[in-house]
Amino acid sequence: MNWKSLIVLAAIMLLFAGCSAKENFVVLSPADDGSVGALKVATDKGSGVLDEGGKAIFIGGHNSAPSTPAPISQEDTQRVFQEALQVQPLMPESFILYFQFNSNELTDASKNLIGNILEAIKKRQSRDISVIGHTDRTGSAEHNRTLSFERAQRVYDILRTENVSPEDMTISYHGEGNPLIPTANNVAEPRNRRVEVMVR
Amino acid sequence: MKKPLLHSCLAVLLLCALPLLAFAEPRVIGKVKGLRGLVSILRDGKTKPAFPNDRIYQSDTILTGSDGAIGILLEDNTLISMGPISRVSMDKFTFAPATNEYAMRLNMQHGTFVYQSGLLGKLAPHAVELDTPVGRISMLKEETSFKARFTE
Repeated sequence: MNWKSLIVLAAIMLLFAGCSAKENFVVLSPADDGSVGALKVATDKGSGVLDEGGKAIFIGGHNSAPSTPAPISQEDTQRVFQEALQVQPLMPESFILYFQFNSNELTDASKNLIGNILEAIKKRQSRDISVIGHTDRTGSAEHNRTLSFERAQRVYDILRTENVSPEDMTISYHGEGNPLIPTANNVAEPRNRRVEVMVR
Repeated sequence: MKKPLLHSCLAVLLLCALPLLAFAEPRVIGKVKGLRGLVSILRDGKTKPAFPNDRIYQSDTILTGSDGAIGILLEDNTLISMGPISRVSMDKFTFAPATNEYAMRLNMQHGTFVYQSGLLGKLAPHAVELDTPVGRISMLKEETSFKARFTE
């Protein structure tokens, strides 16, 4: 064997060393802040713990113990999972709109959030939008049920005028029963006068 | 004479029981959000093509073709995506924070998977059990997300 064929052989081995096309493996995905979780892989012959980013556990099969975590390159990971990553849905996004006291009138700051909601709907081509109304605990529970419905209805109407289809929205209302900030009865709490819009 | 009577009694009993079995309410556990190429859903022994926004039910099996890929959003915001020639069965899914009931058991039978933790993995990581052809994956920490390939 001459030195040329040795180089070719070495190049081929390097090509396959990164990540063989036949291996089973698991690699952690970092969160937005770069942190990773931890998991355990258990086969019939043993188990392995993975708690570091940039490393993978390789598993030959049921009848072999998982490997100790070994480095895997970002490029290899990206290449193996690219098709799955291309169709990965966006995480649902939730918005909280606040209202004036005893009213279904949005605060000015919250009016400005409508654009962000529309953008979130467009980005996801979402057909799955829930609008949920809430109140604080001033006034009777009965009155607050009605008020929470009127608030949700107001947001629903605003989204309707922005051409969000009614079939894509569900509306519900919780009165004073589901506060963001728990308070005693008859306490005015602006942070509880709200409508939550969840875009999935 | 007695045997045919017994048989017809059994047949009648079976006929009565069938609608009850079929009545076991199918539970929606998620929706199809991303889709590419041919993807099928196997439900109650029948296969149908998947479309965007289709509902996914407990016990469904999802299969992607050689050009297929699918992204699923579960009720608790867990995201599961699969590349081509992949197969997963949604064996069990319960997400009921009001009653503190959590369970997730998926069988990642073959292919490439991207799993991003949702609320279930945050509130009850120990309730997440993922079967694979080579063994079982369980969570040791909240909000654990991973990618995995199984070719066996």
